[in-house]
Amino acid sequence: MAITYRALSRLLSYPEAPLQEEALSLVDAIADEGLIPEKIVRSLRKLATSIASSDLYEAQSAYVEQFDRSRTLSLHLYEHVHGESRERGPAMVGLVELYKAHGLEMEISDLPDYLPIFLEFLSVVPNEQAASLIGEAAHVVAAIGERLKKRESGYRAIFGALTALSDRPADKDALDDLLAMEEDDPDDLEALDKSWAEEPITFGPGTPSDGCPKAEAMVAGMQAGA
Amino acid sequence: MSHTLDRLTFFRRKTETFSNKHGVMTDEDRSWEEAYRNRWRHDKIVRSTHGVNCTGSCSWKIYVKGGIVTWETQQTDYPRTRDDMPNHEPRGCSRGASYSWYLYSANRVKYPLIRARLLKMWRAARKTMAPVAAWRSIQDDKSKRDNYTAFRGLGGFVRADWDEVNEMITAANAHTIKKWGPDRIFGFSPIPAMSMVSYAAGARYLQLLGGVTGSFYDWYCDLPPASPQTWGEQTDVAESADWYNSGFLILWGSNVPQTRTPDAHFYTEARYKGVKSVVICPDYSEASKFSDVWLAAKQGTDAALGMAFGHIILKEYHRDRTVPYFRDYLRKYSDLPLLVRLEEQEDGYVPGQMLRASDFVGNMKEANNPEWKTVGLDEKTGKVVCPNGSIGFRWGDEGKWNLEERDSKGKDIELRLGLKGVEDDIAKVRFPYFANSASNGFASTDHPDVLNRNIPVKVMKMADGTMARVACIYDLMMANYGIDQGYGGEHIAKDYDDPQPYSPAWAEGITSVPRDQIIATARGFATNAEKTDGKSMVIIGAGMNHWYHMDMNYRAVINMLVMCGCIGQSGGGWSHYVGQEKLRPQTGWAPLAFATDWVRPPRQQNSTSFFYAHTDQYRYETVDVKEILSPTAPKDDWSGSFIDYNAKAERMGWLPSAPALKTNPLDLAADAKKAGMDPKDYVVQGLSDRSLEMSCMDPDDEANWPRNMFVWRSNLLGSSGKGHEYFLKHFLGTDHGIQGKELGDTGGDKPKDVKWHDEAPEGKLDLLVCIDFRMSTTAVYSDIVLPTATWYEKNDLNTSDMHPFIHPLGKAVDPAWESRSDWDIFKGLAKTFSEISSEVLGVEEDVVLTPIQHDTAGELAQASGVKDWYKGECEPIPGKTMPQISIVERDYSQIYDKFTSLGPLLEKVGNGGKGIGWDTKEDVANLRSLNGPVLKEGVSQGQPQINSAIDACETILMLAPETNGEVAVKAWKALEKQTGRKHAHLAEPKEDEKIRFRDIVAQPRKIISSPIWSGIESEHVSYNAGYTNVHELIPWRTLSGRQQLYQDHDWMRAFGEGFVVYKPPVDLKTTHVKGQKPNGNPEITLNFLTPHQKWGIHSTYSDNLLMLTLNRGGPVVWISETDAKRADLIDNDWVEVFNANGALTARAVVSQRIREGTVFMYHAQEKQVNTPGSEMTGKRGGIHNSVTRTILKPTHMIGGYAQLSYGFNYYGTVGSNRDEFIVIRKMNKVDWLDEPASRSEAAE
Repeated sequence: MAITYRALSRLLSYPEAPLQEEALSLVDAIADEGLIPEKIVRSLRKLATSIASSDLYEAQSAYVEQFDRSRTLSLHLYEHVHGESRERGPAMVGLVELYKAHGLEMEISDLPDYLPIFLEFLSVVPNEQAASLIGEAAHVVAAIGERLKKRESGYRAIFGALTALSDRPADKDALDDLLAMEEDDPDDLEALDKSWAEEPITFGPGTPSDGCPKAEAMVAGMQAGA
Repeated sequence: MSHTLDRLTFFRRKTETFSNKHGVMTDEDRSWEEAYRNRWRHDKIVRSTHGVNCTGSCSWKIYVKGGIVTWETQQTDYPRTRDDMPNHEPRGCSRGASYSWYLYSANRVKYPLIRARLLKMWRAARKTMAPVAAWRSIQDDKSKRDNYTAFRGLGGFVRADWDEVNEMITAANAHTIKKWGPDRIFGFSPIPAMSMVSYAAGARYLQLLGGVTGSFYDWYCDLPPASPQTWGEQTDVAESADWYNSGFLILWGSNVPQTRTPDAHFYTEARYKGVKSVVICPDYSEASKFSDVWLAAKQGTDAALGMAFGHIILKEYHRDRTVPYFRDYLRKYSDLPLLVRLEEQEDGYVPGQMLRASDFVGNMKEANNPEWKTVGLDEKTGKVVCPNGSIGFRWGDEGKWNLEERDSKGKDIELRLGLKGVEDDIAKVRFPYFANSASNGFASTDHPDVLNRNIPVKVMKMADGTMARVACIYDLMMANYGIDQGYGGEHIAKDYDDPQPYSPAWAEGITSVPRDQIIATARGFATNAEKTDGKSMVIIGAGMNHWYHMDMNYRAVINMLVMCGCIGQSGGGWSHYVGQEKLRPQTGWAPLAFATDWVRPPRQQNSTSFFYAHTDQYRYETVDVKEILSPTAPKDDWSGSFIDYNAKAERMGWLPSAPALKTNPLDLAADAKKAGMDPKDYVVQGLSDRSLEMSCMDPDDEANWPRNMFVWRSNLLGSSGKGHEYFLKHFLGTDHGIQGKELGDTGGDKPKDVKWHDEAPEGKLDLLVCIDFRMSTTAVYSDIVLPTATWYEKNDLNTSDMHPFIHPLGKAVDPAWESRSDWDIFKGLAKTFSEISSEVLGVEEDVVLTPIQHDTAGELAQASGVKDWYKGECEPIPGKTMPQISIVERDYSQIYDKFTSLGPLLEKVGNGGKGIGWDTKEDVANLRSLNGPVLKEGVSQGQPQINSAIDACETILMLAPETNGEVAVKAWKALEKQTGRKHAHLAEPKEDEKIRFRDIVAQPRKIISSPIWSGIESEHVSYNAGYTNVHELIPWRTLSGRQQLYQDHDWMRAFGEGFVVYKPPVDLKTTHVKGQKPNGNPEITLNFLTPHQKWGIHSTYSDNLLMLTLNRGGPVVWISETDAKRADLIDNDWVEVFNANGALTARAVVSQRIREGTVFMYHAQEKQVNTPGSEMTGKRGGIHNSVTRTILKPTHMIGGYAQLSYGFNYYGTVGSNRDEFIVIRKMNKVDWLDEPASRSEAAE
């Protein structure tokens, strides 16, 4: 069980006065545990220093702007996995059940996939399991980290740390999908246009490559007499 | 191996086949299915629906597992209709089905948010000061105030906790009340019908403070003023099921499959039944695919088409041949048989006032209100008679207010339709003609301003001894439509091919619809009505109502329906589906919402006039009153601008005023006491000697600014704020994109009576609070954003005009994050306010000004002529020639106690609505035992509790006749006294029925028939408007008590709307900015239309990603192929749309569907979704309302005159927007302005 997760959870929470006071000691705890490479710990310390020293209102409005109001930086994991699909509800239900299986009830009125909650949960499970669980979300973590990097946000250090904790690298395809989905870089107009373009629609069955794969599979199966 | 070994000998395989051996039963292990089953397992299903803006009121099953909403599906358990009628289910649409996404969306407002700059100053001040003093210290220091007001819309929010924001908001309210007056606190929330408790919560809080609630129905331009003008009724329409009973349907400017999706199946079913269908709209809309005939009329010329329909119907079904049913109907139910006095003008006559009993010697023996009793000619005796039912009988003649063919002495009469054959003389009557000049490419003809037509008249001796020429409205109506009864006149069409007003050939020239299609439609419509006794129906929509001259569009349609006896017949009539007005349990809800159980009267404001004045849109007025004045206007002073007309209407008590007086109304009572006078007399005297001033005379003086505003259940700035950029500049004081100049700079005529300030104020509001569950455009501009519960997180009620059921919103889960239901939010504010306000407020006396109200005896104010006390034309008499003045006591420490209990006034003075009152002691007693009495000591002890939202629902359900059969019977009996007829039989079978909240949670329930509405619910007919007027002989609430097709008020005649007439769209003169800032691409002007879309608004907003994905993912405008070619555009190009009001940016959808000359931008696409910067303004592109500006119409300001009297959301100025023209051009550079700003902020 690693206290590192809990410390990261605190650092990623909404900045309040108590967090300003304890921010640096959280990084100390992380450093003591030694799970995170030195270079990233330095970045975390920079983040902690900035949280501790900046004007609280500015720190807060920056946090709200990034995490509460930007969809692509949402700290709710399933926003990136399931978006607004129907799968999201059941996925969250699954997560609550996982917490319950470890004897934990949620105390605050947020969703179970809120990253700070998830991280705190990881701090009470064995390291290997935690590394595996964070590994499942590695592509989301990497994608948010990437976007924060673009914005030159100090919070990216947390995502760097999580990537380091993960037991596997981010699935490249999934990460690419995530990053490709949201090319809202203001300077890259072509990419923007591309994300807007509509796929041409083809009606009727054709070759399996341009038809609906499910329907094609069904047709193929029927033809094979299965 | 032997084949025998293939088979078993001692066993039989356990197989069972079915369906001709197509199926086989097996018992193999199916545990693999568990994963699938778990996936769809749920703990509970809760019934709910979608809240504010949707008319659907569809029943949905919300699935919940582990406290989380997992998905929703349509409910299918509506009560069945009846034999031979299709059922209501299924109801729902793609928008509703994608709603559950909102609950957990990244766009959700999760915590109370507040502008950091404001919070910082507040906390600093609060360290040393009490709350109100702290707020005052920020407001009194201009640099501090500017420090947050100028940054509205520019981000910088931080989270705050509820206690802190509640304290700040209530401190702001208390300070405002103390310093400026309670009527400087304004609240805006629309469409109470769709979540009535949520609406009521905010309104109740505001009214207890003495604040103001703003109307929405008129502001949204969903109110059809033609309805109150004709019927004295806000709007009453058929439920969608009644389409099925029709024989001929016209769908006019309405796009049913797109905007009334759950109801569209009734249209399909009607077509299966064989109903004929004509669709009238300029574009090839989804609705046009419903049609047998599609009439592609030029946008904005619908009244011309309607005039031609009327021309044909009057000629073929009334003049050339008479249809007994039609004639009978006109005689009994319309004002057509009544008499009008002609006034001499130039070398002819113009129709004047309707004759009244008081015009004759001895008042025709009518002692009560003779000047409000209209008269006609009796067919049998040939004498002038005064039939029952006119408004004079409504107030003071018990038992005679009915549509029986009798006079007040009980004598049978039969009114004569037209004077042909009994005339004393023939008079040349002047009818105004407006289609001889048109702007912006609308067609015009070269006819003169005035068309002279000859009609038969009687010459009668009046009470004053003069001999008057008197005409029958029927003859005037014929002449108005260009139908000659043999008396001749100018410009009368010989036949349908003669292009004289208002022949089919004439209409073809204006509307571009071929004349044979016009003739075929009119004949089909009227013939069906003749054969079915009125089962021809017009479904009418925003495409008709959103024009400046919408009244003409509507009255042209209403006239057709009345000429063919369709109104009030099942399967017939008009169906205006624009917005949603049908709060069915209205009389149960109103006391809760407006706190009239504790204090009366409430402060209610018509929002259109309010925003026109207070967002300073009047300073940019481009239309001169003279441009719309009739050439036949009565002699009078018609000078001044629209704001002058509005101010006049306010001071005459026609329209409400907020704020009302420049002086704080809390100080007035004290001042009066000092002067030793009654406060009422003090105000009257002060106003007449000009020591007091009404706020409307100087809206820009800082004493008259609105100071605090609450917006809840609404995206005021994002969707309904006509003149968006003016809101930004003057109301909020932040960045804006106004391109045009103020009157002061253009040299235009400034207002005459209303004071002009050379320097316009910017940033009038001290505090803007937005209550929403998503970060809407309004939220982005607010100072404080409060997170509210979504439609699956609260208990509430919901009714629709589209079906007769009352439906719940059910709390499937607790509000997520820190959000609270609207009820709990305002309850919380009430509590905090009661605690902190004692710093500056105690028990106060408040002077409240209210306009003359419709459906009260006060509506008989000025029977003839318009006299203004301000100009010394008459005495200032409250409630007669000026606003009513009331003194109200407010104990500001009791706001919470009053908020959470039902006050004693209902038991003391009863309840009621629409002029019908009943005793309600028993109902309150029932509620007391149901909700429980308040036990706590204090002002509310012993009163029924209203703690929770469910308590509030029960209050509504218990008090309303539509949901409590006992009350319904009482209400009908109360009406029986007025009409002298029996009506209680309509509700008696349901007398024992009491609908409770848990009942509708179990299944939607049909409402009980009530006299508040003009339709009934029964086993035999579907709900249809006007049904009880026709079948129960209950008069319409108009001057004549009949359907009022002639409008005789001075202002109506002055603006040429005595009779319906075609008026081309007005010229708003906003496209002169064309070519001023070229970017090298061609610029073309087009008519800007904003219909409702498929991908947002009603049940979901335009920021739902699922819906956006189905569209193009951001703002788009639709343009025709020919116009695209002219502007050198191809599909998906970025375009800029602009005019003097502002600019917006969007992608172009180039489509054959669109009519040349128009551009469509679907209503309410959001600024926060994919909107780049504008090259014109250098700011972020605006929203659809960035290129609009409100413009008022004087005829909508009339008050104190029977049906033309003010009612909240009922009558008043409306915010039309379709006359707007814009310039469109391709953009060179797409600049996403916001990202660098937010990025640099994030890096800080």
